[in-house]
Amino acid sequence: MTRTGLQIPPTRNVRPYSTRRHLLWVSALLVSLVLVLLPWVFKLNGKPHADWQQFLGRFHPLAVHLPIGLLVLLPLLEAAGAVRPALREAAGFVLALTFAACLGTLALGYLLAYGSGDIGPTVTRHMWGGIGLSIVVLLCLLVRPAWASGATAPSSLQRLYPVLLTSALLLLVWTAHQGGSLTHGNNYLTEYMPALVKSVFALGNWRASAPPPGSVYADQIYSIIEHNCVTCHGDGKVEAGLRLNSYEQMMKGGHDGPVILPGMPDQSILIERVTLPADDKHFMPAGRSPLTSQQVALLRAWIAQGASPTAITLAGFALPVARKEKPIQPVGDYSGLMGEIRAMQTGQKAKLVPVSSKPSDGLVLNTIDVAPSFGDQQLVAFEKFAPYIVEAELGHTAITDASFQSLSTFKNLRALHLESTAINGSGLAKLSGLSQLTYLNLSDTKVTAAAVAPLSKMKNIVDLYTFNTPAQKQDAATDTPSTPARTQ
Amino acid sequence: MKQHPYCSDCEQELDVMNLPLPAGLKREWAALQTRRNFLSRSGNVLGWAALASLMGDRVLTGAAHAAAKTVAPGPSADTLKLPQFAPKAKRAIYLFMSGGPPQIDMLDYKPKLAALYDTDIPASVRGNQQLTGMTAGQARFPIAPSHWAFKQYGQSGTWISDLLPLTGKMADDLTFIKSTNTEAINHEPAIMLMNTGNMNPGKPCLGAWLAYGLGSMNDNLPTFVVLQTKVNPKENNQPVSSRLWSSGFLSSEYAGVGLRSGGDPVLFLSDPNGVDREVRRKMLDAVEEINRQTLQDIGDPETNARISQYEMAYRMQTSVPELVDLSKEPQSTWDLYGPDARQPGTFAYNCLLARRMAERNVRFVQVYKRGWDVHTDVTGTLPVLCAETDRGCYAMVTDLKRRGLLEDTLVIWAGEFGRTVYSQGGLSRENYGRDHHPRCFTTWMAGGGVRPGITYGETDDFSYNVVKDPVDVRDFNATILHCLGIEHDKLTFNFQGLDQKLTGPTPASVVQGLLA
Repeated sequence: MTRTGLQIPPTRNVRPYSTRRHLLWVSALLVSLVLVLLPWVFKLNGKPHADWQQFLGRFHPLAVHLPIGLLVLLPLLEAAGAVRPALREAAGFVLALTFAACLGTLALGYLLAYGSGDIGPTVTRHMWGGIGLSIVVLLCLLVRPAWASGATAPSSLQRLYPVLLTSALLLLVWTAHQGGSLTHGNNYLTEYMPALVKSVFALGNWRASAPPPGSVYADQIYSIIEHNCVTCHGDGKVEAGLRLNSYEQMMKGGHDGPVILPGMPDQSILIERVTLPADDKHFMPAGRSPLTSQQVALLRAWIAQGASPTAITLAGFALPVARKEKPIQPVGDYSGLMGEIRAMQTGQKAKLVPVSSKPSDGLVLNTIDVAPSFGDQQLVAFEKFAPYIVEAELGHTAITDASFQSLSTFKNLRALHLESTAINGSGLAKLSGLSQLTYLNLSDTKVTAAAVAPLSKMKNIVDLYTFNTPAQKQDAATDTPSTPARTQ
Repeated sequence: MKQHPYCSDCEQELDVMNLPLPAGLKREWAALQTRRNFLSRSGNVLGWAALASLMGDRVLTGAAHAAAKTVAPGPSADTLKLPQFAPKAKRAIYLFMSGGPPQIDMLDYKPKLAALYDTDIPASVRGNQQLTGMTAGQARFPIAPSHWAFKQYGQSGTWISDLLPLTGKMADDLTFIKSTNTEAINHEPAIMLMNTGNMNPGKPCLGAWLAYGLGSMNDNLPTFVVLQTKVNPKENNQPVSSRLWSSGFLSSEYAGVGLRSGGDPVLFLSDPNGVDREVRRKMLDAVEEINRQTLQDIGDPETNARISQYEMAYRMQTSVPELVDLSKEPQSTWDLYGPDARQPGTFAYNCLLARRMAERNVRFVQVYKRGWDVHTDVTGTLPVLCAETDRGCYAMVTDLKRRGLLEDTLVIWAGEFGRTVYSQGGLSRENYGRDHHPRCFTTWMAGGGVRPGITYGETDDFSYNVVKDPVDVRDFNATILHCLGIEHDKLTFNFQGLDQKLTGPTPASVVQGLLA
């Protein structure tokens, strides 16, 4: 087909400066004014209003996808219209529909915020985004006929439409992101972002508000609250005037007064709300699964013992050692190398076993079947796959200290087993570049305290095992009560 | 069958396809109907893949295995896409206390019972529960407080009986579950339920599911090993049988391999006089050739299992003697496990062996200790039982921990049910008995995947009913699977028209509160 585009038959005599057009501009201005004034007429003052408003409002997250879908469809229709004029004709209708859907969704969204008494910077941003977006779509609606009609309109109006449509789309992305932050929490997108990307976006310290680790509050209480409460009671959204994302704010309480009464867990509203039956109107966290009894017990005990922000122990609770569980660093996809990996295994007889069905979890180097004959040379052969290997089980093998040269290339290594090997530790310093390494097992080797010393500089190593070596601490010697040789 | 035209007694031919049966079952039936279908099944990739998992790469490399060259190399974990997520534990050791340890005397501290000595248990506590035939006829149900004192241990302040001082010592490493409960009140159904998720025999046990789902990490040792502790004739030993480590409808190569508790760990493992390794290899190659021919002709997957088991036995000829050779264990081992550990078949010895197997990457080891069925003479037998097991448990967990193995090994300690607060038979200050009690019992786990130093769940003041956070057998098993990287709902095997799984058709959930 050799249809040349842009030949839209002038179906109607367009007169841009007619009375009718003036009327349209005036009414558009009025509608915009109403939208802009909405927040001043019905103030979002943090107080919940009628239940029916919330009932309707809760359809907002559902309805919102309709205008989004339509708006995203628009540029496609307009572009495709260059080839198929029928599509561009449809675009006008879709645009009108988008505007109608925008208004409806905006109304529902406002009902939700007004009805539930949600406030906070994110709520405000999301609201203004929605209002702004509706107005921009309205403007699009007004200027589009001029653009679509081709050369007959003044050139400035003609060029306005693509600009407006582009800004509508950008505004849409921003507003949608604000809305997403409200429902899923601020760090939803960034939480599992690879460190590299994070550093590009300078998002490394998104948890800047988190208290410094070391106290019961920081390590236990805050993490419970952070995961269960701050989506609604935080900086982004301040339901019932309560913010739980800092110690001071939490102790201050919300509209109902303080939620934590130090020493009196049973009188504390926080405990009361989280222990209500899940179908109770006041149950918290609303609409989510209840806290576990262990979490409730921890909160209760913490409050009972004074709700201190700095206490480091809690009587009656063995708190897990504050171990920074680093999120697992994904490795690249090795699926493409499976053929080579298989061939390699056939030659070496040592295996590369997937950690899980997800390739990004990496591979484990398993040598147990051929341990006595697996030496430094054999390890060198696996250097090719080093980026994908997260755990190397080299226990009981014939490797020596020369292998540390190879191992220094295993940059994604998290766990390294060297137990019952002939190493004396002289090459351990070569591991210093392995930033992911958290587990190092040197049990039953000849490593000395001096050889192990450089490892103390590697803060990432959490578990170092030196059982039955010259480097072993003295207390782990004999008799039944031998204490574990786990050095931190 | 054709009916005679004059025959009025028209008998409909039985057609399975028209019977009210589930569609899956009909498909299974249809698949078995034609010889062609049946033979095509013999090429079933899954069977080969499973075989390959046990034999590892030997299938591809062994020059003698000409036929095996066509085998798809993927291990079963490849085809099953397991583990679904990076697991915290790669292997597990299950210390099974068969008979039902009395939780009230060991781990579930009930101080208020002392004042209620010899009073009847309130009817409201017992409810309308049906009792066993052993106590249902009793006129009274007098409360028997524990004969032993309890102490608090560790940072967690866990209350533990004086019978288990060493368990107390490692309290901060353990995860106690006081609210485990089961539906079965008698040994056989209860022990089947714990192990296979079903009271009736015939289902694969936990170890078989793990072997099937996760495959082997060591080609030279079985994926799933069962160690039985020698019985003490003074104790009330309920039988345990190979049903408990059976692979059910899964291929029999996933069944547990039992090592004998005395003498040779595996009978006839060493070559007889005059047969050297070379001759043995040739013989096995010939047998395998014949077996493969049989497989071609008949297509019974069990032939595959047999072939792989012969190969496994051949490799075990060298790996097992090395496994049970304790001569290189350092003195610190014997200091820790105690002198009992030198005696094959004792609980301490089995614990040491379990640790050695964990080092060698055996996926699942189950140690059975019988004798916990203390219907009478609790004060006489319980101290013996506890003394036999306390040190072994402590030694194994401590040893795993100091060697860096507890990080990725899940240790489980459990029986099939608990015991009653009321005395079976006569109650005196010196002695009492306890009957089976399914409504609550205490278990513990340690190591990879579970949160150390906590107690999960609560029972009432009589240790009779769970009052908080119940953990039933399905949830217990789902949690174990989770620690090993398996979503219990996703590890299934289609059999008899149902996607069978360890946790059964009733919904089960992972107990989040137990996880690290």
